[in-house]
Amino acid sequence: MTQALALPSTRDEDWRWSNLSALPALAEQAPQGGPVDVDGLWLGCGGPRLLFVDGAYVPAASMPGPILVGPVDARTDHPLGRLATGEGWTLTLGFEHAAPGTIEILHVSTGGANHLPARIALGEGAQASIVESFAGEGWANRLTRIDLAPEARLMRAIRLVQRGGFVSLRDEAAINAGASLVTTLLGAGGADSRIDVLASLDGVGAFAEYGGALLANGTQRHDAAVVLRHAQPGGTSRQLWRAVADEQAAVSLAARVEVVRDAQRTDAEQSLRGLLLKRSATVNLKPELEIYADDVKAAHGATVGELDAQALFYLASRGLPPEQARALLTRAFVSDALMRIGDEQVRDALLAEAGAWLGGTA
Amino acid sequence: MLKIDNLHATVAGNPILKGLSLSINAGEIHAIMGPNGAGKSTLSYVLGGRPGYEVTDGSALFEGEDLLALEPHQRAARGLFLGFQYPVEIPGVSYLQFLREALNAQRTARGEEPLSGGAFIKHARVQADALGLDIEMLKRPVNVGFSGGEKKRAEMVQMGIIDPKLAILDETDSGLDIDALRHVGDGINRIMRKPDKAVLLITHYQRLLDYVRPDFVHVLADGRIVRSGGPELALELEREGYGAMAA
Repeated sequence: MTQALALPSTRDEDWRWSNLSALPALAEQAPQGGPVDVDGLWLGCGGPRLLFVDGAYVPAASMPGPILVGPVDARTDHPLGRLATGEGWTLTLGFEHAAPGTIEILHVSTGGANHLPARIALGEGAQASIVESFAGEGWANRLTRIDLAPEARLMRAIRLVQRGGFVSLRDEAAINAGASLVTTLLGAGGADSRIDVLASLDGVGAFAEYGGALLANGTQRHDAAVVLRHAQPGGTSRQLWRAVADEQAAVSLAARVEVVRDAQRTDAEQSLRGLLLKRSATVNLKPELEIYADDVKAAHGATVGELDAQALFYLASRGLPPEQARALLTRAFVSDALMRIGDEQVRDALLAEAGAWLGGTA
Repeated sequence: MLKIDNLHATVAGNPILKGLSLSINAGEIHAIMGPNGAGKSTLSYVLGGRPGYEVTDGSALFEGEDLLALEPHQRAARGLFLGFQYPVEIPGVSYLQFLREALNAQRTARGEEPLSGGAFIKHARVQADALGLDIEMLKRPVNVGFSGGEKKRAEMVQMGIIDPKLAILDETDSGLDIDALRHVGDGINRIMRKPDKAVLLITHYQRLLDYVRPDFVHVLADGRIVRSGGPELALELEREGYGAMAA
């Protein structure tokens, strides 16, 4: 069933910081399978929950609520996203429906590769909150198609806590008038990642936010390429990313805002900040604005630096050992990105996971 | 408690301290005064262990132990407190969280039990109330959005919470209005004027010494102490200026 895997090359500008070299071998491997222990992986939000192991739905461990598992209406030309065909999950909510509590979707991989499509279609004024977690090891590849009708609201949190392997995510979203999509991501595991987003603000006054904290150590790589496209007037977009790289790790963020000619009164903000915990680490930041309208408010900032030596000494002078002082400052650095998560329980869990990754006491 | 002998230190290769000697016993409050550039802040940073301040000769013993061989956090755990002339702003870190971590790191280093969240808040509230600082301010990020006076009061709240043996206070009076000066002065007396504690006040002006009466006053000029005396020396300096003194 394996076909030759056609992967993008680093000669392609959109993939220049990627390292996909582990994927062909993972694609050939079979997952280890066997029982997986998922007890500690649920956040316990109390809403619907779905478990996928190696991309296969596990009904016995799931309470799917309004989510249907089966063939998914999602198609893309994206070089990784297009691999995610066949069965997956779909959330459809009608006019002014709200999902019952935060929906938890847990993806556990045991090696090899798994590909899964998903579709989220919210009707006018509908609301949902979803947290997706990636655990285990192997290559988990996902395509998520999102359609938000006018005034719909979708809040998503994504936790990358795989021990190893690779997680690739492709989101394609259409956001209608007055609708809102907020996605916050935490990369705190040991796996490499590639996050690709194309979200289009297709209605007047739409809102889109993508951001999060990507933490990398060892030789790990996180690589995100996010495009937010303002296609109609009065839209607002936010991108607030924090990248932390230790040892020989690399975190790369390419964040683009596109504003078409008619998208007047657009309000777009980007804040990309990188923190190098060692001089051997790398953070690449590439903020891009492509603006064809003339009445646009666009703010962007991109900085890479080290921990503030004055602050470190101040903390040390009060008795904090160097490791603890560094962890405290690093947690502070990433926390504003994670504070955007609306669900308090999810927010606290992700802040705690970031804290645990960074060391020190929470 | 603190015995500094023939201390020489450089900053970025420039000699700043040039043979400074000073002894402070438990129960004493010392004031060091001197003109700009005399080395006052350098002295506090060298004693606190700030990176970039290199000791080239001499010694400093704290309760008989070689202070200069210790890391900054170890000095704090031994009972040394450094009050900053310019307290550092740290966005994203809550004051209370930072202080609780710091206090418990010190307690752990001394083999004491860490303080629980509840006990810590109670302790912090008492200290904040005593300094006239709203505890709500300490729920904010460290020093962010604090006025100059609030930062200095917060330094004294920290000192009250940490309860050190020796406090080195670098221009704690700068930027304070009269009310804040009185609060800070009262705070220093309440927290530190005890038989088993000592204070080294580094100051430009006499006015803090109206509230915190020193037992000894020293004049620092060009990296060494050029004159020592009782509280009357501060008044003499105020009258005659540093120029006459250093000459």
